Amino acid sequence: MSSVPENAPEHCPGTNSEDAGKASACAGCPNQQICSSGATRAPDPDLDAVQERLSSVKNKILVLSGKGGVGKSTVTSMIARALALDESKEVGILDIDICGPSQPRVMGALEEKVHSSGAGWSPIYVGENLAVMSIGFLLNSKDDAVIWRGPKKNGMIKQFLRDVDWGTLDYLVVDTPPGTSDEHLSIVQYLSSSPPVAAIIVTTPQEVALLDVRKEITFCRKVNMPIIGIVENMTTFVCPKCKTETAIFPPTTGGGKQLAADSNLQLLGQLPLDPRIARSCDNGENFLTEEPTSPATASYKSVADQIVKFFEGQS
Amino acid sequence: MSHDIEDIQDCPADSRLAGHAPVCKGCPGQSLCSSQDSQADPDQEIIETRLKAIRHKILILSGKGGVGKSSIAVMLSQMLANDGCKVGVLDIDICGPSIPKLLSVEDQPVIDTQWGWKPIVSPHSNIKALSVGSFLASDCQAVVWRGPRKTALIRRMIKDTLWGRLDDLIIDTPPGTSDEHLTILKLLASTRPEGAIIVTSPQKLSAGVVSREIRFCQKMNVPILGIIQNMSGYTCPCCSEVTEIFSDGAGEYLAKKYGVPLLGSVPLDTSILKAQEKGSNIENMYPNSPFGVSMRQILKKIQKVLEK
Repeated sequence: MSSVPENAPEHCPGTNSEDAGKASACAGCPNQQICSSGATRAPDPDLDAVQERLSSVKNKILVLSGKGGVGKSTVTSMIARALALDESKEVGILDIDICGPSQPRVMGALEEKVHSSGAGWSPIYVGENLAVMSIGFLLNSKDDAVIWRGPKKNGMIKQFLRDVDWGTLDYLVVDTPPGTSDEHLSIVQYLSSSPPVAAIIVTTPQEVALLDVRKEITFCRKVNMPIIGIVENMTTFVCPKCKTETAIFPPTTGGGKQLAADSNLQLLGQLPLDPRIARSCDNGENFLTEEPTSPATASYKSVADQIVKFFEGQS
Repeated sequence: MSHDIEDIQDCPADSRLAGHAPVCKGCPGQSLCSSQDSQADPDQEIIETRLKAIRHKILILSGKGGVGKSSIAVMLSQMLANDGCKVGVLDIDICGPSIPKLLSVEDQPVIDTQWGWKPIVSPHSNIKALSVGSFLASDCQAVVWRGPRKTALIRRMIKDTLWGRLDDLIIDTPPGTSDEHLTILKLLASTRPEGAIIVTSPQKLSAGVVSREIRFCQKMNVPILGIIQNMSGYTCPCCSEVTEIFSDGAGEYLAKKYGVPLLGSVPLDTSILKAQEKGSNIENMYPNSPFGVSMRQILKKIQKVLEK
């Protein structure tokens, strides 16, 4: 990646340059002090350690959105569970939503605590071949507010990648917070050093969501992150009483389907809004095994299959 | 070689300890923090002048994404404007700015005068709005900024903006408890915001995340005006059966646990969604929508608290 940060002032000399922090263009840049101190020119000593850990992790999937509340955490957990249905595969979930970690609850591991050994931090096993790591496991209480600015969040993400002892993984599914900021830049920077890695983008059908999701697609293209495809969540609501399907979030501008066409991306699936899915997530249950005949289960399995095929095509 | 798991401690970025506390050791931002902490804010005076001309400053917070912060921020501002108040909406969600669409100011640029930025006035309601969305060339343009640059922009949105005299400034925030939230609280600190309205969806999963936001407010001494539980129940247009799509009860649970008023539950109302996307004045277009009726009752409660 270029040493000129995405957010740099015009004519930024680059954080690795001799003029870093000292050029006239640096005046007023919030990072001027760090650059002029020379800290940014030093090679990151942890990068090697991160690469070593990730060398035993085969395929990395970033679950992104841009918009909050579209179901990234739900989709992350369901895809991971679907991938783990193949018992010969080892699957991990990494939750880098530091302010709002959902994976401990969604995966039924709220009370768990992380242990460390000589080999590193042990992720929490929620199944024979399914492990989870989240900052939620490191907090002393369930409602502690993690009030951190960007640099400290980046530090934590790096620690997760450096210190978690996943062992050998076939798939690492990464749950992200909404937005295009520190966490996203950091995770892309670290994972890109260890391909293959690719993103799936989650949206809901309405334009207010698509607005933010288009930005996320732009972000992926800027940082050269391959996109497997788009998943549209909450496409229809099926009334439990009369079974009528309603477009609960009207796709006034064509929804995920149009977005996929406009962006030249695959639409991997359209997931219905099934109130039972929300309840399963609240209770940390596996919806795929609780409701094996639900159309949502079939859709999630299909998305997982397409992910598998994507990575098989890469190798 | 792995490192020990430390206790998760708060980042003291906005206190005198910034850069010097034990928890700062090893933090990538340590040198930036320790070089800034002893300096007084040169802009403090102008920020205070701007903010003193605004009677009520109300933050819309959640912690959780997608619960309807922006929709509720816009509805509150439209109701207040309909009642004749001078209202402004500040959108500090830099990555995902929704306000320009919801207030129908998408195609209007922010004018930079010699005295500062002129907020855009929404055509359907007399509301002044400012959002990073108004500075972007197109919808697809992504603002991929790390914390310090977001902080710098938010400061300018207060310091350099000609808000003028307002009765109410509604501040829409992104999900989380990070740079944007710390920055806006620091800016508002000397003139004390009236408080925060916390929005949640009914789901337990939301409650877990939103409880952190409540704890954040408590830690930062921000009064909580109350909790709004949004997307409470969906009425099937075919058989009128009301389903709690996102399970139930987070609002009441949070209100009880933290001793905070539950301002009300607002239904998921598809009738207004299309109007929202057009940036229409919801109350004028749909005077008796279920969403609007609930929000009016909530506004009455908020006004009672503000009058105290």
